[in-house]
Amino acid sequence: MDKRVVTLVGLIALLSTMWFGGAAPTHQAGPVRATAAPTILGFPAATELEAKTAQAAFNAADKGKPDPAWKGKKFTIAVYSAGQRGAISGPLYFWRNKFTELTGATYDIVEIPFAELREKIYSDFTTSAYKYDVIINCSNWYGDAIANDWIQPIDKYFNEPRMPKWDRASIAPAVANLMKWGEHWYGTNNDHDAQVLYYRRDILSDPKWQAQFKQEMGRDMPVAMDTWEDVLEIAKFFNRKDWNGDGKPDNGISLHLKVGGQGFFHFMALSAPYVVTPYLGQPPTKVTKYHNVYWFDPETMEPLINSPGHVRALETLIALSKAGSPAMWGWSLGEAWADFLSGKSVLVFSWGDVGSLAEDPTQSKIAGKLGARGIPGTKQPYDLEKKQFLNLSKPNMVGNQVGCSWHPVLSKFAKNPDLAYYFMAWQATPPINHWNVYMGWTGVDPGTTYDWFPPAGKATIDEYVAGGYKADDAKSFIGAFTDNFYRYPIFQNYIRIPGTPEMMEVWDVHLSEAVTGQVSPKEALDRTYQDWQKIIDNIGRAKLLKLYQQSIGYTK
Amino acid sequence: MKAMAHKEQIKFFFVIPGILWVLIFTIFPLLYSLRLSFFQARLGQDQTFIGMGNFQGAFSDYRFWNSLSITVFFVVVSVSLTVLLGLGLALLFNRPRRGLRFFRSSFVLPIFTAPIALGYLGLTIFHEDVGAVNVALRMLGVVNPPGWFHQVWAARLAITLVDVWQWTSFCFLVLLAGLQNLPEELYEAAQLDTSSGWGIFRHITLPLLAPVLFTVTILRLVETLKVLDIPFSMTSGGPGAATQTYSFYVYLVGLRNFNAGYASALAYILLLIMLFISSFFFNRLRAIYD
Repeated sequence: MDKRVVTLVGLIALLSTMWFGGAAPTHQAGPVRATAAPTILGFPAATELEAKTAQAAFNAADKGKPDPAWKGKKFTIAVYSAGQRGAISGPLYFWRNKFTELTGATYDIVEIPFAELREKIYSDFTTSAYKYDVIINCSNWYGDAIANDWIQPIDKYFNEPRMPKWDRASIAPAVANLMKWGEHWYGTNNDHDAQVLYYRRDILSDPKWQAQFKQEMGRDMPVAMDTWEDVLEIAKFFNRKDWNGDGKPDNGISLHLKVGGQGFFHFMALSAPYVVTPYLGQPPTKVTKYHNVYWFDPETMEPLINSPGHVRALETLIALSKAGSPAMWGWSLGEAWADFLSGKSVLVFSWGDVGSLAEDPTQSKIAGKLGARGIPGTKQPYDLEKKQFLNLSKPNMVGNQVGCSWHPVLSKFAKNPDLAYYFMAWQATPPINHWNVYMGWTGVDPGTTYDWFPPAGKATIDEYVAGGYKADDAKSFIGAFTDNFYRYPIFQNYIRIPGTPEMMEVWDVHLSEAVTGQVSPKEALDRTYQDWQKIIDNIGRAKLLKLYQQSIGYTK
Repeated sequence: MKAMAHKEQIKFFFVIPGILWVLIFTIFPLLYSLRLSFFQARLGQDQTFIGMGNFQGAFSDYRFWNSLSITVFFVVVSVSLTVLLGLGLALLFNRPRRGLRFFRSSFVLPIFTAPIALGYLGLTIFHEDVGAVNVALRMLGVVNPPGWFHQVWAARLAITLVDVWQWTSFCFLVLLAGLQNLPEELYEAAQLDTSSGWGIFRHITLPLLAPVLFTVTILRLVETLKVLDIPFSMTSGGPGAATQTYSFYVYLVGLRNFNAGYASALAYILLLIMLFISSFFFNRLRAIYD
């Protein structure tokens, strides 16, 4: 063999080994201790403005009366791994020095990759290791945590003079309910998840594109996007056109559809108006066998997941998935967001993170061009009672609290529960929580009256502008969340019974099978139905039915 | 005499930690999981004896069959490619060359990379928009390069190729050692009879190398049957469940969904499959030696 060939092969092998070997992921395996990073006013802040506004929030927040006995103590917080400036984990690092300043105590932060988060936490409890005193919890884990008696109620602290006071009445009821189980509070206020529709305000309001749309489609562009059918039409129109002027075809919509990429949350938000219909008497939010239900028949626990409404919604999702980059069938959350933030797609529907990331100049090219609205509806929802699709003159609009709404819960086995609760309450105080909301990088999404603009709330545009927002973007973004939480007539139920994560896991797989064309939408949802039936029978139908009825407020 | 007896006894004392270690960390989990496999044992629930219920359930579980078929594909393709490529490279380097040590060391480096890291690297290399593979294919004029993460067979191929990249070097190393131990005299004698390289390879090298080839193959088979890390980090088992290998499925059932009874049954089925394959190969190996 030619010597040069051998040399070349060797070099390729060496280089590829170096390349592969040197790029191991940097997951945090153990607690991350305080680092000697430079600080401004005691905060590991990126800018002086950030530090000043945080200091103002710190000064304004209620601090209770920290117990001197806490000095020198420490507890441990488990949170999903996003780093020191990442979503949800970032604020824990940011406020740590100030917590020490207040109490003389500190905490370790254990970052766990999202894919392993639940199993690590569940294993910690089942093996009686009890490493974590506070868990930044996903709301759909409550069923398991309560059933296994892993977390403790926090009501006893509410009137304790040592503890900071936080405003429970200010939280959007849909999210506040996620922090409670039965009569008791278990979680403190933090994040408020819901999906809304984001769009490029500059493009959709451009008369040039509106005229072209009319010319091609024979009607005005439905810029209000009240229905998913309107969204689909707009996505299809813009897909593969060079609307951003970079000389390359661009995308209509971006979605994250990879298994494990949280794509099932997309379907959850999209499908709600196709399935959830209001009670025709008063109040419209009353839960009956056929109204305001999405997951199961509240009398038999039979899954509704393969109803014709769900199937039509999945057909819509598949149609939408063809109005964007073909690669998005393999995208996770970050890739879908990046596509929109880098100005390559006109639409995305996702959590509040997109609204705040759009203002971050290091990640976004669309600051000042962002539009947002609540999740669209449909004029043809499926009536579970009449077993037929309806034809409505106005769209059926359904609010959602899709996602985790990450918030701290207190382990029943916490070594220093009072100290740990002090931290939870202090972070939930309105000035600090609101600061976390309007500083987009924290990943804390809006959901309280102090996040909304008047008349729904008491926030000001200036606060958001101080956080780096363009005024019009903030109006649109916060307006979409306010609509979702307060102005939509009915709401999709949140599922958090025991076994929920397992149900989500199989659902995720079957949705992926449908969007990648392996099976039909009906077949995918039939498979989900069968798997859910098995899970329900395995855990115990009667037990789950009772919990489900309680969780959605169903009474005969 | 008494001192001798004491000395004899004390050696058992030093063996006790090892025995305890094996009992606690190997034998006990093995027996406990065997017991669990006959129970309905879920997180937060009382355990109920169900006899062979978990095993019967596996055979009517379409995800069991799906993961098994994916694993068979992975095993066949990955083991064949790694052994063949390893053999080819071993033959290539089984002669004096300048810089041979350097190349040998370089080829071996991938073995030391953690498979989970390889999976994440695979994610970037096979990324459909900006990954090196599709960028190269586009440069070569391929208009629609494969959708490595959303097309069923492309995804399966992608995880297999990453595994092949890592383990070819292991096969190369072992087979090269085997080749270098073959007696030179046989080759010298054979060269007097024939000038056909293929003939020498076919009738001398291959039969003499067969025991090493069998060993490499069985080690690779056992390794690939257990594959989890690469599909876990690279495709999350998708699209759908198209790259959800058997061990991945056991992991999901046991550690994600905490259905310990069913997961134990699935793990024992895999153990039986491995025992069957291993005994088949060892019987063949014994026949070769005999």
